[in-house]
Amino acid sequence: MENAELINIWKMQNAKIEKALAVNEILFKEVINNKARNSLRPLARLKSAGVIAFVLYILLLGYGVFYAISNYSSAWNYFIVSVSIIALINIRGLTDYIRHLSWVNNINYNGSVMEIQQQLARLKLSIIQHSKIMCLQFPFYTTFYLSDKWFPAEVGIGYLLLQTVITGSLAYLSYWLYSQHKPENFEKKWFRKMLEGSGLTSVINAMDFYKELEVFKADNSDV
Amino acid sequence: MKHVGKSEEFLEVIQIHKGIIYKVANVYCKDEEDRKDLVQEIVIHLWRSFESYDDTFRYSTWIYRISLNVAISLYRKENSRKRISNPLTDGIIKYTEYTGSDETEADLNILRQIISQLKDLDKALMLLYLEEKSHKEISQIIGISETNVATKINRIKQVLKQKFIQFKK
Repeated sequence: MENAELINIWKMQNAKIEKALAVNEILFKEVINNKARNSLRPLARLKSAGVIAFVLYILLLGYGVFYAISNYSSAWNYFIVSVSIIALINIRGLTDYIRHLSWVNNINYNGSVMEIQQQLARLKLSIIQHSKIMCLQFPFYTTFYLSDKWFPAEVGIGYLLLQTVITGSLAYLSYWLYSQHKPENFEKKWFRKMLEGSGLTSVINAMDFYKELEVFKADNSDV
Repeated sequence: MKHVGKSEEFLEVIQIHKGIIYKVANVYCKDEEDRKDLVQEIVIHLWRSFESYDDTFRYSTWIYRISLNVAISLYRKENSRKRISNPLTDGIIKYTEYTGSDETEADLNILRQIISQLKDLDKALMLLYLEEKSHKEISQIIGISETNVATKINRIKQVLKQKFIQFKK
């Protein structure tokens, strides 16, 4: 089979396609003047709501820490340390979130396919980094309510054990989740299942595609 | 609000190059409804980028870049794709089905089927090759060197030809 044959088969559709295509001007104008803006609005609203929620939560945590320091006594130690760490992790989360939003808004599809697809894949992969960091706050939700005044001196062995098991388990879970966020695991079924539930399927696809792009680029060096 | 003259100019560009948008959508979407949505999404992105259009490239190069980028990033491996938030009931680009001769149709269907099995980037390369774009223009659209374009197209062509012959048997 000659190259020209392939092109000719393809061309057979071209002439007819051109004739069969018509631009629906009314819809077209509606899209570019109105619907294009509208279609972006829900997404922008959702993203803004996320930022607002993050900020409110950090303000609440900040106020808690500020109050505890202003009225300091050793009873607040666990609270100050735990809530400060949670706040710091969430501040990092907020900056990640804002950075992602700014990247998303600034991606211009004008660029070459390789350039844009790599940017998009990289952006999606950075969401993994974000969720990895966010996992680290879990154990501190089990320690902020403790107080030097009654813990551990005034609690029974049963409570002490329970607290250790809960905090220990969450600390281990945090560490485990943190360490599992690595590309090798993207191939594993259980990891994919776990991420699918969190709406991160697109991240897995991005990772696969990123590999594809790397292979595509690497072929260049064989030439 | 963009100037009315700008939208008229944009409409004219799209009228001339509507075939590109349709062909990209056709290569990346099997389903008719998905195709309509993709066309709409491409037009929205083209409109958003129209102000920053770089006239050192031809309109066709610009439209291919944006159409392929949108098609690859939005439609990649998604089995149940989310509808865009404000769907239109009808397509911006309408297509009246034509009937070719049986043999032409059969060959074309085989070719389309084989292309649909290619990886996304290979699909883009093949589409541009079959549209007889120069290696230089393909390299500008895809973002790889002209030598690389030539090598890859040769490899894909071989696979395509082999499969085509197998299908015909």
